Formats: sequence, C-alpha cells, structure tokens
Amino acid sequence: MLTHAASPPEAPSRVVVLGARGFIGRHLMAKLAAAKVPVLAPGSAELNLDSPDAGDRLAAQMRPGDALVMLSALTPDKGKDLATTMKNLRMGEQVVAAVVKAKPRHVVYISSDGVFADALALADERSPTAPDSLYGGMHMMRELAFKAVCADRLAILRPTLVYGAEDTHNSYGSNRFRRQAAKDGKIPLFGQGEEMRDHVAVEDVAEVIRLCLWQRSAGVLNVVTGRSYSFMDVAKLVAAQFERKIEIQGQARAPGSAIWHRHYDAGDCLRAFPDFRYRDLAEGLAQTHRQAQALGGA
Amino acid sequence: MTTIGYAGMSHLGLVSAVAAAERGFRTVAYDADAALVARLGRGELPVTEPDLDAMTARNAARLTFTARLGDLKACDVVYVARDVPTDDRGQSDLGPIDALIRDVRPHLKKGAALVVLSQVTPGFTRARMAAGLVLYYQVETLIFGRAVERATKPERSIVGCADPAQPLHKGLAEFLGAFGCPILPMRYESAELAKTAINLCLVASIGVANTLADLSERIGADWSEIVPSLRLDRRIGPYSYIVPGLGIAGGNLERDLATIIGLCDRSGADAGILRAQIANNRRRADWALQVLARRLAPGPAVKLAVLGLAYKENTHSTKNSPSLALLKAIPNLAVRAYDPVVAPTAAMHPNATRCFSALQACEEADAVAVMTPWPEFRRINPVLLGATLKGRLAIDPFAVLDRRQMARYGFEHHVLGAPSVA
Repeated sequence: MLTHAASPPEAPSRVVVLGARGFIGRHLMAKLAAAKVPVLAPGSAELNLDSPDAGDRLAAQMRPGDALVMLSALTPDKGKDLATTMKNLRMGEQVVAAVVKAKPRHVVYISSDGVFADALALADERSPTAPDSLYGGMHMMRELAFKAVCADRLAILRPTLVYGAEDTHNSYGSNRFRRQAAKDGKIPLFGQGEEMRDHVAVEDVAEVIRLCLWQRSAGVLNVVTGRSYSFMDVAKLVAAQFERKIEIQGQARAPGSAIWHRHYDAGDCLRAFPDFRYRDLAEGLAQTHRQAQALGGA
Repeated sequence: MTTIGYAGMSHLGLVSAVAAAERGFRTVAYDADAALVARLGRGELPVTEPDLDAMTARNAARLTFTARLGDLKACDVVYVARDVPTDDRGQSDLGPIDALIRDVRPHLKKGAALVVLSQVTPGFTRARMAAGLVLYYQVETLIFGRAVERATKPERSIVGCADPAQPLHKGLAEFLGAFGCPILPMRYESAELAKTAINLCLVASIGVANTLADLSERIGADWSEIVPSLRLDRRIGPYSYIVPGLGIAGGNLERDLATIIGLCDRSGADAGILRAQIANNRRRADWALQVLARRLAPGPAVKLAVLGLAYKENTHSTKNSPSLALLKAIPNLAVRAYDPVVAPTAAMHPNATRCFSALQACEEADAVAVMTPWPEFRRINPVLLGATLKGRLAIDPFAVLDRRQMARYGFEHHVLGAPSVA
C-alpha cells in the first residue's frame, strides 16, 4: 500500500530518470516534458551504470531535492542468464550507492511482477515475493537493496505485462501478436492460449509513476488493472484491429508443460489514486494499433 | 435469591446485566464512569440492540446501576464483563480487564464467585488464580444486533473451572440453571479456547461462502440458489454462516483470528489457513469499491448515495465497517449518506451530506450503495428509487432490494454471489 507525503500533489522540482530511452521511460519523459518538469536523464553512453564509478558520478549530478526514477534494467530479451542478472545487480548497486551519497528527496524503483511465484494465481501487494526466474530474483534483490537505504521515501512499482506501440521486447503477448498478425496474417499461440494474464498499457504505467512523483508516494504498488484475459482473448482483440482476417493458431503444448494463471487484486491502487482508472484492454489495444500504424509499423 | 453483579458497562456488560435482571435476579451493574452510570440510570443506553431499551425499563426495579464498587458486596456472583479493546490489527489489550479484576476483588463478598466474561486469551484465567478467590471463566457468545436474544436464550453455558470435576459454585449454578440450557464445565483453557473455536468455525464458514460467492459471480452461478441446499445438509445445518458478506467486521472475529495466529506461531502449529482467511476477508471488504470503480468514472461531480454506515444492521457499531472503508476510498466523490442510527462525520468522509431517509440520500445521486442491510431498506420501492436516483447503478451486496423488481425497472443491480443484472 502506498502512502503519500505530498498533499496536495505537487510537481517535483527535478526528476532524475535512469532508463529514459526505454519503453516506459520514453512515455514518462513525455509526461514530464508536458508538465514542464526539469529532468536529468543521462543515457548509457554518458553514464554506464555497470561501471564501478557510476554511483559516484551519478551522485555528483544529483541534488537533495531531486526525485529519482530507476527504470534501467536489461530485460529478459537481452538475456536470461546469470551474467545478465549480475550485470543488472551491479547497475542496481551503483544506483543505491548514489542514493546513499546524494540523498534524493524521493525514489521510485520500477520493479516487475516477476518477483511473484508463477504458481501464485491471485496476487496483491501483500503476497510474498518468491521469484521463479533470475530476472524476478534480480528485481527482488534490487527492491531489498533500495529498501535498506531509503524505505521511508521509496515507491516500488511492479508492472505486469506492459503493452504499447513502441515496445521493443517482443515477448509473448499482445505486442508480438500484433507484429505477427501484420507480418504473417497469423497469431500463433501456446496451446489454445488458455493462460490468464493482466495486461497494462504503457501510458498507464507512466501515469502511475507520475502520480507517485507528484504525491511523493512510499510503499509498494502492483501496476496492474485487476482484470485478466486469456491469451486467446488477447489474440482475438488484436486480430479484430486488422481489416483482413487474421488466423489464430493454437498448437499442441509440450508434454507436461504447466498452464498457470495470474490475477491481481487492484484494490490498493483504487485507494492510493482514487481518481485514476486503467484503460480497458480493448480500448488500449485499439489505441496501440492506431499508434503503431501511425509510426509506420504494425 | 442470588444477586448477580456485572463490572464494566460496555456492550457485553450492559446486555448481560439486563438479561440477568430479565431472568428475575437482583442485578448490580457497576462501572467506574459515574457519568455513564447516570445516563444508564436515566435509561439512556449507549448501545443499540433490539429490545434492549424496553427490557432495561421493565427491569428497572431489579437492576441497579452504580459507580460504587462497594455495591458489589451484595452479590453472590460478580462478572467481569467489560469488552476487551482491540486495535486495528485485532490485537487485544487485556490491561483494562486486569485493572477491573484488581478493583473488584477487594469488594467481593466472602464466598462469592468472580467470573471472567470478557473475551480473554487462553491461559488468562488460570494465571489470575489466587488463594481465597473463587474464580471462573464463562464464554460469551453475544452477536451485535442480536445480543439481547443471545443473552436471554443461550444455547449452552460454557464454564471454565480450575477443576471441572468439582461441583460448580452454588450461586453460579443457580444463576446459570435459570436459563434452562446445558451447562458445560471444563478446564479454564478449554473454555477460553472454546470461545475462540466457535468464532473461528464461523470465520471458516464465512470464508467458504465468500470464496464461492466470488466464484459464482465470475462463472454465472447464483450463490443464493445454492445456500438452501447446504442448509438442508445435516452436517452443515440451518443456522450455518454461509451467506456471503463484505468480509468479517465488528472486531470480535478479527480479534480471535489474531489471538489464535499468535498462539499458533508461538507453539509451532500451522496458522496458514487462518492467514488465508484474513487475506480473503480483506479482498471481500473491497467488493463494493471494485464494483464502483468498474462501473462509475470518478470525479467530484459524481454523487453516490450510501445507505448504511454501521457494520451490520441493528447496531450502532462501525468498527471495521465496510461502509466506512468504502467512504475512505472515495474521498473525491460527493456522498449523500443515511443510516438509521449512525450519523456521518467529516472524519468518515470530507464531502458527506447527512440525509434523514434512504430516498432523500438518493436524490440526484448517480448510484446507490446499500452498505448495511437495515430492515427498513428492504421496504424501498424500486419505482420511487428509480424516480429519485439520477443513475441506474445499484450496488447492493446483501441483496436488500428485490432483484427481480430492480431488473424490471432497469437498474444495473450488483449483489454478492450472483452475476450482475443490467
């Protein structure tokens, strides 16, 4: 559950964004620019977080009144191995060191719902973290590391499956479905796409981060809509965006492969931000499709 | 004739004292708060329970309210009957009960029995044994809103004793015998745990009902159709707690969950199922908020009529009230609130308008939420409701409003345990 230090909400004097060029980061930057909030957003060329002096160099650029948003992570599409995990942890170590040294006023860490066990069918913010992947384990370790140094001014946000037009990760889900539909006229599914998942629009993730920044929120929040859909239903919603008929192809599962579902109780978000509502998935996917077409892609 | 004393005029003590007088016993009802005692003496009762005011009035000759400890000297049996205060996490504070025992003991008549009626934790009573003290523990099973009925017509009297093989204290046996129900003497610890065991069985039933009601809503079943088939099963029974609700509230069941989880943790027993009950309870408490969030866009111009603030019907208690939890989660909506007993305050909601009838609360509202199943809400006419309410959204967890009529008059009617009707 989040608690808010700023009431009424106020824009932060400056936001340091790490990972500003990523999928979520770009949307956050657009929101901050629209609100005319000064931003410091060093790219990896200027500040390689996986270098031993990154923490000192970041701290030297930070001011005590800053808010810090940490989005930087090598996502599973960049590698799921231990080496990638260790690199992610070193990046986290440097940012935590900078927080200790520069003492920003507020910290927002963008984690992942990978911190929960796959078998957890219904989760909320009080569910135990028990990751089944190195990526989820890495985020859990980073959460603990940040909590150890700035729990009183730290918001941990855990987005679930994020969709949007400019997604680069292309993992199994609506973004890949859209590209496959545009390219091949087909959407292949694992099995019959039975698994239930929650899907959140990237614009909504960015808005939740903004709300946290404006209210200087502290605590943990799952960035989830509270409504889950099967991948089959997601595929149908994506297919419906195209004028031509899109074939949805189920396929046999590997013997012994388990089907697991994930639902979220989103009550904490309703209480934390009473005036905010996530967009409906059908509406969000239609918007994503229009944006993708405008960008010249699928 | 045996004289019965009660110390601590909170809900438990007051209702129990009035019930003792109703049974024909001279009753001394003590509280240290002289102002409270004066109000009680004038018939101004601080709690709302069906029949309590009338029963208090007709037993006035046998019932003495007093702030003088010395008046307990006349009693053959003295009950320590103050309700145990609990915090937001259900943790008990037994300090006031100990203080009351310390105050009362010097004023006991020689040979009188002291009976702890408060909701203490297992191990409490034996630890208070002392030379010359005739000490018992008795289980109370009052229910808010039905407390008088429960106190005057108990199903059984469960009595914790230092040694259950010994005969009961004569005065206590005479008093309990007057209620005409079985008397079950047992060890202190067994009786203390029996109290909690009863409540946890109720919690388990509620948890099952809420889980399956939730599932019913999602898969097109109707839990209200299933309930009669369970009640007719002898293993479940006609009085079982299988009607879905907005989680447990009122404080007592939450207290017992917290108490037993603590005991399990200390002793190494598995409390996983009890923790699951707490999580289930928390989620069901959000039911109305979740429906509201799905069906009504937020905004300061949105008006919500909230019918009921008490945690259940026929009580003034708002402890852990689902209605207040809903109000806390919608600070930016305009709320028009009505409860037959509880008045809305700014602490409950910053934009709440107090209304004096259900229909007045619904005037120009976009939606109505019937958060407490007060009997008078069952008499709301859907036609009048339709003419009064601006919107057509009715959040009615306890199905107080007639479902067929609501559908007939075009309401989007949401009830627990059934798919919504639009």
